[in-house]
Amino acid sequence: MIEGRPDELHQQFDEVWGNPRGWRAATIVNHTRIGLLFLLTGLGFFIFGGLLAMLIRAQLALPDQAFMDADTYNQVFTMHGTVMMFLFAVPMMEGLAVYLIPKMLGARDLVFPRLSALGYWCYLFGGLILAASLFLELAPDAGWFMYTPLSSLPYSPGVNSDFWLLGITFVEISAVTAAVELVVAILRARAPGMTLQRMPLYAWYILTMAMMIVLGFPPLILGSILLELERAAGMAFFDVARGGDPILWQHLFWLFGHPEVYIIFLPAAGLVSTMLPVFARRPIVGYRWVVVAVLTTGFISFALWVHHMFTVGIPHLAQAFFSAASMLVAIPTGVQVFSWLATLWLGRPVYHVPMLWLFGFLVIFVAGGLTGVMLALVPFNWQVHDTQFVVAHLHYVLVGGMFFPLVAAVYYWLPHFSGRMPSPRLGRWGFWLVFGGFNLTFLVMHWTGLLGMPRRAYTYAPGLGWDTPNLVSSIGSFIMAIGIATVLVDVLLHFRFGVRAAPNPWHADTLEWATRLPPTAYNFISLPSVDSRYPLWDRPDLVKEMARGEQGLAAIAHGRRETWGTDAVTGEVREIIHLPGNTWLPFAVALVLSAVCIGLLVKAYAVASVAIVAAAILVLRWSWENGAYEEGGTAVPISAGDPPLHWRTHNGPGRWGMGVTLLADGALYAALLFGWFYLWTVAPQWQMPAQSPLDARGMLANALLLSAATLWLRRVLAALRRGSDKGLRGQLAAIAALGLLQSAHLLWLTYASDLAPKATAHDAVIAVVLGYALFHCVLAGVATGLQAWRAHYGYVDRAAPYEPIVLGQLWYYNFGVVWSAYVALVLFPSTWGGG
Amino acid sequence: MTWLYHPLQIPLGLIVWGVWFIALYSGLSVGCAVAPPDAAAGPWNWLNVVLGGASLATVALLLGLSALCWRASRRVGQNERAKRFIARVGASVHLVAALATLFIALPIVGLPPCV
Ligand code: HEM
Ligand SMILES: [Cu+2]
Repeated sequence: MIEGRPDELHQQFDEVWGNPRGWRAATIVNHTRIGLLFLLTGLGFFIFGGLLAMLIRAQLALPDQAFMDADTYNQVFTMHGTVMMFLFAVPMMEGLAVYLIPKMLGARDLVFPRLSALGYWCYLFGGLILAASLFLELAPDAGWFMYTPLSSLPYSPGVNSDFWLLGITFVEISAVTAAVELVVAILRARAPGMTLQRMPLYAWYILTMAMMIVLGFPPLILGSILLELERAAGMAFFDVARGGDPILWQHLFWLFGHPEVYIIFLPAAGLVSTMLPVFARRPIVGYRWVVVAVLTTGFISFALWVHHMFTVGIPHLAQAFFSAASMLVAIPTGVQVFSWLATLWLGRPVYHVPMLWLFGFLVIFVAGGLTGVMLALVPFNWQVHDTQFVVAHLHYVLVGGMFFPLVAAVYYWLPHFSGRMPSPRLGRWGFWLVFGGFNLTFLVMHWTGLLGMPRRAYTYAPGLGWDTPNLVSSIGSFIMAIGIATVLVDVLLHFRFGVRAAPNPWHADTLEWATRLPPTAYNFISLPSVDSRYPLWDRPDLVKEMARGEQGLAAIAHGRRETWGTDAVTGEVREIIHLPGNTWLPFAVALVLSAVCIGLLVKAYAVASVAIVAAAILVLRWSWENGAYEEGGTAVPISAGDPPLHWRTHNGPGRWGMGVTLLADGALYAALLFGWFYLWTVAPQWQMPAQSPLDARGMLANALLLSAATLWLRRVLAALRRGSDKGLRGQLAAIAALGLLQSAHLLWLTYASDLAPKATAHDAVIAVVLGYALFHCVLAGVATGLQAWRAHYGYVDRAAPYEPIVLGQLWYYNFGVVWSAYVALVLFPSTWGGG
Repeated sequence: MTWLYHPLQIPLGLIVWGVWFIALYSGLSVGCAVAPPDAAAGPWNWLNVVLGGASLATVALLLGLSALCWRASRRVGQNERAKRFIARVGASVHLVAALATLFIALPIVGLPPCV
């Protein structure tokens, strides 16, 4: 396995994995670099959002201030909330995971590197578009949850809301791509021997967080699409007069919004569970119970969304369910807190700078949790709804639960970024200033809230008893800002003055400390096998063995980027994952997508359409560069005794990636069907035509046509698995043609059905369902055609059966979409009145 | 009984709980839209009985699965730690899901459904 001395080996690896400089840096797809970019960009947005917070506090410091007018104030607080939630908290946590997860799992990279690069560029461009709106004085101003009808066209006529809807959708797509990537990497690219019960706890947290993003973000993406369609194209969804319901927006928003809080908190808790045992110098107490608690939090947090809507008039019994669920979710959090305390209690803790921040986290977060339980009580909630009390609670949870662990993590992993250790001096000042300033600001704000001061009021009259607490809060927030600046200065200075870090400087147990400091682009020259939960504690020599190239997959002469693909449960090696190298494609796709976004914003629909076509072409080109796409086709050499390259198997990571993506897609579609049934039962002025506008027989025929094509593909795939590729190219081409025919028929059905989506919500929802189905059917048809073409080149055959199998899932999914559309749009209405 | 060692056991209890919760909320909404029981009659009416019965059945199912997993976890040998882990986590998750179901369903006994 070893081809030379480690130094030579390093050089050879650098040739294959190295990062280009200058302009070509935009082609880098490596997770270490992408993760760093996420973190730096997140920091930039944090500073931006923090400056906005200081503007808010300056305005509220004294009564009757005229520092900002009401209109500017609305933009500033909306942008503050939006930036902090969407552009700082989630991307920061995902970025850190993108950086850490492969290293902790003992892998060289994430499994779809180009996808993470795309996610990053979408995040950057979407964030910049959104931030630009503030400087154009066109920023969204309807609050970070953009309630309809306030955000609808009649009440927000400018482009302000459109900036939010388009920009945030763009950023959310980025969040989902990173989530898909993380799920599959955690399940399929762990070090050999890392069974499920040996996975670092952080991986459990990130797995849960990523699945929550996969299921939780699509409802909001759908909501944004619907609201934008209503605003730009005049379709009706949230407009009562035309049979819509503004409360539908609230459901879609909070269906995302509550899990969002845990999407932010869980990864932070994962950081705590990673650092605390290291400083306590013992394994975490109750590993299994922490796993159970994390999973429970992940699920139950989806059943809480209505607790944000206790005042909109939902039946008491339903409220009671959500109230009970809200109280319940505090328990798994409590389990984790006890596990942390027990770990400290039973360990022999050493106190370094990160521990200070962990201590601050425990104090503030527990306090925030207590006010959360207060808010879950419906009568109390009614008292303080939309007062500063809620603002105080939310910052205790968010800043305490996310920002403090994050700073602890920054200090803890500093050696990774600089090769140096943090200094103990300035860091302490920073901590105490932030901790003191924070409590001064927000502890007092609880009181302001109980005195009845509403949130989002741009100013207030003197003499209501709100003057003093507001002044104190503002002073506190400036102290906190000074503290944050101190931390930043400390981190910057340490790049020059920090002491050089020794290997594994904190004596940690996880594999990310087996890299060089800072790590190379390929993380490890040879990939470890693991036989315990704490590999670096149980086998301290592992670091040296890995660096000497004595562990797995140390060959590089073939010039491919590779990492192990392992079994999701047992961690046994199943294949070699062949990773793509640097490419312009992700950057270009994100650039073209931002052209779409800007085109829609300024209503230059021609530009937007051209850009959409360009994006489609780029994405198809991207899909071409998979597996064997160059000379020689599928005849690619591997060393004897090694498992096959992943695209020669039936069950590589792409299959899992497609599966997880379709879960997200399915969540969006389910939210759409939910909207249909919701409006049907609840919308106050739901209007149904006497005769269904849809051609019932035509819909049935269409579904049957799709079924025929799907079944045919199924047979082709079954043959491929058995090792027969007879007539593969011709059959794939025929299936593609059949699929496109069915799409054309669906288009015609939509066209001929005489829908009036601008007149009633009923028709508008039907139009969206049909459009959704159409998009997916066309996609499947075109992609299958592309596979036929690849079969023609010999890139896909019985030796490389992987891609058609991945694609097969999309067909099964479409099968489900078209049939459920038939049931919901044709069968349901005819049995339930109407039609 | 290899299915007791399948990794899907790990989240299964919470998936069952999730399906139950969706059914509970949508059942309540649809019930109230179609045939709302009289509020004056209090919690004893057809809708609450249906919802309560379904909830009890779910609790029973989850407890049963939990017990099965727990027993399965004690059957494996020393060298099958991965299996034991899955069965143990599965048993715990099922138990937690059963308790969550019970707790969230509790208000059915005390409140009329549609007001
Ligand atoms: C750095 C110190 C921070 C300060 C001084 C601060 C200050 C404030 C203030 C005064 C408001 C109330 C606006 C109003 O009622 O009119 C607010 C709202 C909000 N903040 Fe912060 N904040 C800080 C950090 C954060 C962080 C880290 C997050 C999230 C991760 C966050 C998320 C929010 C959200 C979601 C809102 C609600 C916005 C809305 O009502 O639309 N804040 N913040
Ligand atoms: Cu919530």
